[in-house]
Amino acid sequence: MKTLCLMVLIMTLIFVGNPFCMAAGPEYIGIVKSLSGDVVVLRNNSSVRAEGNMKLRQGDHVRTGANGKAGLIFEDDTVIAIGPNSSIVIDSFLFQPNEKKLSFIARIIQGTASYLSGQIAKLAPNNVRLETPHATVGMRGTHLLVKVD
Amino acid sequence: MRYCMQIPLLVILMLVIAGCASNGTMVVLTPDPDGKTGSAMISNQAGNVELTAPNQATTVSDSSKLPTTPAQMDKEAIARLFADTLSIEPKPPVHYLLYFEKDLTLTSDSSGLLPEILRVIGERASTDISVVGHTDSVGSREYNLTLSRSRANSVRDKLVENGVDANHIKTTSHGKENPLIKTGDNVNEPRNRRVEVVIR
Repeated sequence: MKTLCLMVLIMTLIFVGNPFCMAAGPEYIGIVKSLSGDVVVLRNNSSVRAEGNMKLRQGDHVRTGANGKAGLIFEDDTVIAIGPNSSIVIDSFLFQPNEKKLSFIARIIQGTASYLSGQIAKLAPNNVRLETPHATVGMRGTHLLVKVD
Repeated sequence: MRYCMQIPLLVILMLVIAGCASNGTMVVLTPDPDGKTGSAMISNQAGNVELTAPNQATTVSDSSKLPTTPAQMDKEAIARLFADTLSIEPKPPVHYLLYFEKDLTLTSDSSGLLPEILRVIGERASTDISVVGHTDSVGSREYNLTLSRSRANSVRDKLVENGVDANHIKTTSHGKENPLIKTGDNVNEPRNRRVEVVIR
């Protein structure tokens, strides 16, 4: 009986808690617009095979296989493409111009990537950077190609 | 026995060396789609280097070593090195601003943009379209929130009537809170009576 009560309590908490979770929960920050070959998205310790128009969230880690490549479009118009054997993490994406919450930080762990700046870079250039194991890249609104190996 | 131990160790050592044989990071600054070139600052513990001209490149071998002096890179070499990446690079999103005479009536210029908007959605096979409604500052906050929502919905309905999947359109409304032209309250400003359409 006690266990049942406890379960009901937990279930109630989950259902009541959920709307709050959704309100504060992860918003999507962009999409996988184009892809070919093996592309996976690692999120919350699990890996999902990417599909066209898949929605991306902050913290997502996108990885391509030897025959894979992918193009990403973010909500602020930033465009990123990655080539084969590449690995990139979107560490931070904040695009709330009204509240001046603006940030774009992507970590290129390996491979090749192109970056085309969007509105975050226009509104808050100092809050935009690409990180690699060897250096940090800051920019003033532009198109960059990065290769890490 | 001693040799048996050494061989795997040697293999491991070779693998470690191979794994460490990284060339580092290469950064190339290229022109934007509109032809302009921005700038990029590459920095680490050792200092920083700035790229300012089209097709300039620098490489960094280690986080404790200074990036190389920027050097012009051959266009063909860039194309070769980044061929796969550039082949999958999506076109940047397109934005349209549609203006309203009053209430839900589009200006004739803006009405004239609809065919182009539909064409671009089709060309890109876009499934991610934002429609964002705005108003000028005439009237109460609540009135304008409702009006901006109705404006966004009216544009969405026009797109849907012309064959765009409603599930691909996300409408939002900002009322008078997000003007294009900053004005005082209760100011009639045609440039703020608008719906923005973003096609990704």
